[in-house]
Amino acid sequence: MSSNKQTIKKQVKKHIPKDWLTELRIVYRITMETLNDIKRTGIVNIIIITTIAAILTIFGGLFRTALSVNSFAHELGNVLEISVYLKQNADAQTVANRIKKIEHVQKVRIIPKENSWQDLKREIDIPDIENPLPDTLHVKVDKPQNINSVFNNIKVLSVVSDMSYAQELAKKIQILNNVVNTSTVLVVIIVAILTITIINNTIQLVIQSRKDEIEIMRLMGVSNWYIKIPLIMQGALYGFLGAAFALIPLNVVQNMLNNVHRFFMIPGPIFAGNMVVIAMFFLGISFGAGGSFLSIKKHLQV
Amino acid sequence: MIQLRSITKKYKNNYALRNVNLDILSGEFVFVVGASGAGKSTLMKLLYKEETPSSGTVMIGGINIANLPSDKVPNLRRCMGIVFQDYKLLQNQSVYDNVAYVIRTLGISTKEINARVLGALKVVGLSDKIKAKPTELSGGEQQRVSIARAIVNGPPLLIADEPTGNLDPKNSMEVMQILDQINQRGITVIVSTHDSAMVDYFRKRVITLENGEVVRDIQAGTYEQQ
Ligand SMILES: Nc1ncnc2c1ncn2[C@@H]1O[C@H](COP(=O)(O)OP(=O)(O)O)[C@@H](O)[C@H]1O
Ligand SMILES: [Mg+2]
Repeated sequence: MSSNKQTIKKQVKKHIPKDWLTELRIVYRITMETLNDIKRTGIVNIIIITTIAAILTIFGGLFRTALSVNSFAHELGNVLEISVYLKQNADAQTVANRIKKIEHVQKVRIIPKENSWQDLKREIDIPDIENPLPDTLHVKVDKPQNINSVFNNIKVLSVVSDMSYAQELAKKIQILNNVVNTSTVLVVIIVAILTITIINNTIQLVIQSRKDEIEIMRLMGVSNWYIKIPLIMQGALYGFLGAAFALIPLNVVQNMLNNVHRFFMIPGPIFAGNMVVIAMFFLGISFGAGGSFLSIKKHLQV
Repeated sequence: MIQLRSITKKYKNNYALRNVNLDILSGEFVFVVGASGAGKSTLMKLLYKEETPSSGTVMIGGINIANLPSDKVPNLRRCMGIVFQDYKLLQNQSVYDNVAYVIRTLGISTKEINARVLGALKVVGLSDKIKAKPTELSGGEQQRVSIARAIVNGPPLLIADEPTGNLDPKNSMEVMQILDQINQRGITVIVSTHDSAMVDYFRKRVITLENGEVVRDIQAGTYEQQ
């Protein structure tokens, strides 16, 4: 009696013996269970994976575009300078030093009125009159979105007679940038909702069709995790395969964007391709597994 | 091996079990008898932790399973064999796979699984049916498969809830004899039944339930009081 008592007590307290061969066999079993579940899902597998691939393609394409637009905005920001025309009596160097102290100002270049005059005279035929041009400062701003505030900060200086910058262009790029960024975030939410819903329902059907079997497994003492892990893996695998298939159309988008970059001679964003691929797999797998998880929570009482 | 103390199980407002106190020793063969609705299945479910008592303690092998955390329940169930009236076999899997299922999930080697499964099937006399599907077997054979599955992990305890409930007298006798043989190997066997012929034939300890109460507990007893 006491020996039986001991074995039961020990068995109930301990988990399955852990040596690597045992674990390997368990991993193998769980993999087989996962494949079995997928086999049972039949033709529906194709619909699930295609749908996930489609929405991940939309996400990937948009995310990739967003990165490109960001790099365009950045690049344009670099060439966008504010031209500041000074009053005749102003000392260019003093003003330049003051402007340098303004936040977000990266560089200030002084264009003496003599230079501007020479340039102008080279371009158009002007009679030999006295140089009417003011000294000019070219102010470079760190980021395109800061141009406006820097512009306003310089405008209030008394020695400034006039200013200009490609305000419209900067604004448009900024708007485009905001639009693609916002859409990317929105699409991430849509990807989440759709993937989780699809996987949730699929796993619910799997659980439903295996209801009796799962009940028997439970009664016979099959561990909860052994029942759950294949279902989670199934969801995660759909996400993985969806992402894998989405790589094909993503490649097309990527090539298109690369051509655009080459045309404008603006370097493409570095690591953009890798980032998008990683993001797609991450979202696919985590939302796939998440959908399974929710389904298990709701429909599997173990 | 098993001690029940002041067990009460209440479903909403009816009592399935009332103040049940029982001691079952290691190696015993016990019949739990009673009319339908007497509480036999409820008692069995408490033992394999499918139900939790409303009050009282269920000690098995020195642990109180009344408050066993749910993640330990599978471990508990692997320490016992459970046999049901409706066999609960996986219909689309062979006899062999049905018996092997649980020990496969434990990561045991194929060689050992093979030895254990064939051993268990030999005990129930189905060595020649290992490839058959449950649908190709008679009720008695299906129940024997489920008994093989119950003992394949070498448990010290076997619980059978009306194992002959769906069987004719001949098959019932075969199944009971197998359970008796298993008991003779030292495994504690608890069988609920309302088959008086079987109970009277085997003359084991008989615990009688009536409306959830233990009204009789007799060694080498019969179904009805004599
Ligand atoms: N899940 C349940 N919910 C409510 N009442 C139940 C439940 N299970 C059993 N009962 C009641 O408990 C009593 C005992 O049932 P049970 O243990 O199944 O009896 P037996 O197996 O002896 O026929 C019966 O009155 C039954 O109606
Ligand atoms: Mg019953």
